[in-house]
Amino acid sequence: MKPILRILGLLLAVEGALMLLCGLVGLAMHDRTSLTMLPPALFTAAVGLLLCMLFNKNRAIADKRMAYLGVVLFWIALAAFGMLPFLTSHSLGTVADAAFESMSGFASAGATVFQTVAALPPSILLWRSLSQWVGGFGIILLVLAIVPTLGINKYSLYTAEASGADNTGKLTTSMADTIRQTLSVYLCLTLLFIVLLWVDGLTLWQAVNTTFTHISSGGFSIFDDGIASLSHSQQLILLAAMLLSGVNFAFLYHLFTLKFKMLRNKLDQISFYLLLNAAAIVFTSLALHYRMDYGWGDAWRCGAVQSVSVVTTTGTQIADTRLWWPPVTFLFLLLSLCGGMAGSTSGGLKAMRVLILLRNVRNALRNRLHPNAVNPVRLNKKPVSQELITNVMVIFFIYLFTLAVAIFVFLLCGVDATEGIGAAVGCLSGYGPGLGNCGGFGSYAHLAPLVKWVCTTLMLLGRLECLAVYMLLFPAFWRR
Amino acid sequence: MFNHKLIAHITGTLLLIMTAAMLVPLAVSVATRDGAQYAIALSAVVMLLPALFLRNLWGRKASYTMGHRESFWVTSIIWLVVPLLGSVPFMLSGVLPRFADALFESISGFTTTGSSVIADLSEVPPSILVWRSMTQWIGGLGLILFVIAILKKLTAGSVQLYEAEFSGTMQRKLHPHIAKSVSLMWRIYLLLTVLQFVAMLVCGNGMLESLCLSLSTVSTGGFTTTAGGMAGYSQATLGVVTFFMFLSGVNIALVYHLITGKGRMLWRSEEFHIYVLIYLVAVLGSTAALTTAGNSWQSSLGYSLFHVASTASTCGFYLPNPVHWSVWVSAFTFALIVIGAMSGSTGGGIKIKRIMILTRYVHHYFLRMLHPNAVFTVKVDGETVKVDYINKVFAFVFLYIALIVVGGFLLTLGGLNIPNAVCMAAANISNLGPSPLLNNIGASVDYVALSLSGKCTLMVLMLAGRLEIFAILALLFPIYWKKS
Repeated sequence: MKPILRILGLLLAVEGALMLLCGLVGLAMHDRTSLTMLPPALFTAAVGLLLCMLFNKNRAIADKRMAYLGVVLFWIALAAFGMLPFLTSHSLGTVADAAFESMSGFASAGATVFQTVAALPPSILLWRSLSQWVGGFGIILLVLAIVPTLGINKYSLYTAEASGADNTGKLTTSMADTIRQTLSVYLCLTLLFIVLLWVDGLTLWQAVNTTFTHISSGGFSIFDDGIASLSHSQQLILLAAMLLSGVNFAFLYHLFTLKFKMLRNKLDQISFYLLLNAAAIVFTSLALHYRMDYGWGDAWRCGAVQSVSVVTTTGTQIADTRLWWPPVTFLFLLLSLCGGMAGSTSGGLKAMRVLILLRNVRNALRNRLHPNAVNPVRLNKKPVSQELITNVMVIFFIYLFTLAVAIFVFLLCGVDATEGIGAAVGCLSGYGPGLGNCGGFGSYAHLAPLVKWVCTTLMLLGRLECLAVYMLLFPAFWRR
Repeated sequence: MFNHKLIAHITGTLLLIMTAAMLVPLAVSVATRDGAQYAIALSAVVMLLPALFLRNLWGRKASYTMGHRESFWVTSIIWLVVPLLGSVPFMLSGVLPRFADALFESISGFTTTGSSVIADLSEVPPSILVWRSMTQWIGGLGLILFVIAILKKLTAGSVQLYEAEFSGTMQRKLHPHIAKSVSLMWRIYLLLTVLQFVAMLVCGNGMLESLCLSLSTVSTGGFTTTAGGMAGYSQATLGVVTFFMFLSGVNIALVYHLITGKGRMLWRSEEFHIYVLIYLVAVLGSTAALTTAGNSWQSSLGYSLFHVASTASTCGFYLPNPVHWSVWVSAFTFALIVIGAMSGSTGGGIKIKRIMILTRYVHHYFLRMLHPNAVFTVKVDGETVKVDYINKVFAFVFLYIALIVVGGFLLTLGGLNIPNAVCMAAANISNLGPSPLLNNIGASVDYVALSLSGKCTLMVLMLAGRLEIFAILALLFPIYWKKS
C-alpha cells in the first residue's frame, strides 16, 4: 500500500499545483471568484506533499494486488480532489454534480451537468479544460509509466493500451525515454493547435481551452453551443486535432520523426481507424443532406466533424445532434463504443480490439468448413496469441455487461429508455453526450443524483477499461 | 466434387413431406367448410411439383457422400425453400395477399418465432390457422432433424448436418446411431404434443384451439388463434400451457430421460439447475415488482408464472398487461430473451449453456490475473470444456449481439425509435416473437405496421437466430463457394 500512496501523493501535489495555476490565470483575468480556487489548491497540494513525505522511502511493490487497487485509487482521488473547486466556487451545488463534472474531466469523457457555461468564471472553465487535458494524457502515462512500475502484468490489464499488444510498439526500450517522447508529441500537438486556432482568429483564451479539450478527446466546451459558432476553418482545424487525438501516440512520434519502418506494426489498426472514420463521415453526410435538408457543403462539414468527434469519443458538438435523424444517432452510439486507436487519448473498446473480435469471428466461420486447419487470427500479418484473443473477448463481455447493468439501473430509476441507453453508452465510452435531453447541446443536469453517480462510475470504468475496477469486487482479491 | 444432386434430393424429400403435411389443413378446411380448400389444395400442388422435380429428376441417383460444405448448403437451402413454399397458402387463401407479408409469416412460423403480420386473426379460416401452427411444429425440432430421421441411408452425413443446424452445442446423443437418436427425439416431441392436446381438451377447449396451441407451445413458437394473445383462456388452460412451455425450454434429451424414468439425469444437469433457478428468480422478482406496483399478489403471481415461462422458453405467448406496469418486468424480460432456453431444446436465444461457459470463463480469467501461474479449467457437468470450444462460444455470442445491434440499426432506418428497435431485433433473433416494448409486452400490431425493409431485416434475424447464425453467415464467405 505504501508505494501506491507515495505515487498518489505525487499526483495530488501536481493536481494542487494545476489548481493554483488556474486560480492565478483567473486572477490575471480580473476574476474575483478565482480566489475560491486557492483553498482546494492548497489543500490538495498539502495532502499530496504529506503523502510524499510520509512514504518517501517505499519504492518497491510488495503486493501485486495492491497495484490494482492503486490504479483505481489514482483516478478516484484525482476526481475527488478535482471536484473541490466546483464546490468552493459555488458553480455546482451538490457533491453528485461536482463529482460527475470532475470525473468527466479526468476521464476525458465530456459529459457535463452545466446547462450553460457562458456565465462560469474563467478559473473554473480553465480547470474543466485542464482536467481533460491532464486526464487524456494521464491514461497514457498510467499505462506507460505507472502500471509497469506497479508490477502488474501488462498483458492482463491493458493489453491494447499505449505500448501496444505486441510489445514492439514501445517508443524505445527505456521507460523514461518513452514517457518523454510521448509527452513531447502531446505537448507539440497542443502547442501547434493553440497557435493554429489563435492565428485563425480565436482569442488565446479560447484557443487554449478548445485545444485542451479536443487534443485529449475530452469534449468540454467553453461555449453553450459546442463549436457551432466557430468559423468553418476553425472547425476543420479541430477536426484535424480530434483525428490526431485518436491515433496511437507512438505511431505519431514515428510518423513525425520519419521512421516509417516503425509504422508497420500498427498498419492494420490505423487503416481500420481511418476506415471507420471514413464510413461514418459518408453515412452521416449523406443522411444530413437527404434526410435533414442540409446543403452539400454544410452536410459534409458537419458530418465530418461530428463523425470524427464520435469515433475518437471526443464528444464535441457541431450542431444540436438531438435533432438529427435517429439512425445517425444510433450509429454514433456504436461508433463511440468502438473508439479510436489503442495508445491514444480516445475511449471506447479501441480499434485493435474490435479488429481482433471481427477476425476471430471470421476464423470461427472458416473453421467450420475446415475444422482441422490451423488458422490463427492475424494482426499486421503476425499471429495473435490465444492469450490476447481471450483478453479481448473478456474485456468485450465485461464492457457489454456493464452497459446492460447500467441501462437497467437507469430504467429502474425512471430514466427514459432512449436517454438511458444514450447516457450509458456516452459515459462508458467516454464520448460524453448521450441521447435525448442528455445529448447535443443538452446536459445531464436534470437526472437524479443516483443516476449521476452511476454515470460517474461508468466514466471511471470506461477510462480504466473495466478490468481493474471489477478486480476489486472479487472476494479472492481481498483474501490473504 | 460438390454433391449438388444430394442437396436436390434432400430438399425434394423434405418438400414431399411438406406436401403430405398439407393434407391436415386440407382436411380441416373440408370439415369446417371455411372455404379455403381450393387454396390449400393448390398450394399442395405448388409444393408437390418442385418436390418431384428435385427428388426424382435432379436428385436421382444421388450418392450419399457429404462434406462440410454440402451440409451447410443443404441447411441453408432447406431453410430458404421450405418457408418460401410454406408461404403459398397464406397468399392463395387471401389472408396475406402480399408476398413479403406471407413470407414473413411463414419464416416466423418455421423459425418458431411467432411474430405475426396478420392484423385480424378472427377473419382467418381455421385451416390456415392450423397450417400456421403446423409450420411452427415442423420447424420446432429443426427441419434438418426431419431429414435425418427420414433419410436413413445418410449415415456419415447426418452428424455433419446435425452439427450444421445446431452449431455444436455439445449435445450428448441419446443413442450412438444418430438417426436412431433423432427418431427418439421426434417421438418425445410427438408425445408432448399429444399430451398437451389431451390436457387442453380436458380443460374444455375446442378441438381446433387445442390443436393449434399444442403445436405452437411444444415448438416454443407462440402463434395464437385469437387476437389479444392468451387473454380469453381459463386459468386451467393457462396452467397447462405454462407447464408445457416450461418443459419445451428443457433439453429434449433430458425430457426423454425424465419420461423413461431416468430422472436422475435431469437433476444432474447443471444447465437444468440454472434454468430452474432463472425461472424461480424471475417469477419471484416480477411478482414482487408487480405487487409493489399496486396489483394484487394473486394476479401478479399468475401473470409472472405464465409470462416468465413464455419468455424463458422463448415461446412468446402473452397475456394482457397487468393494470400497473413495472419497469423491472421489462428488464427481466429483456434479459430472459437474450439468455434464452436450454441448449438442445426447441427454444431460442443464446442458450443457458453458452452463458454458463462464458461467465465461468470470465470468472476464471479474473482469478488467473490474481494467480498467473495457477491452472484453471472450465467445467460443465463435470466435463472440461476445451479452449477451442470456448473460443467458438465467444465468437457466437459476439455475433449474436452484433446482429441484434445491426438489426436494431436497420430497424431505426424504418422509423422505429432506438429502444424499440433493439428490443424488436432481440425478440426476433431469439425467436420469441412479440417484442417486449418497454411498457407493453406483446401485440402483433408492431409487426403489421412495420416497413418493408423492417420486415426483411426481421426475416433475416429470425433465420439467423434459428440456425444459430453460423449456417446463414457461412454462405457470405467466398470460401464456401469455391470448388475444393
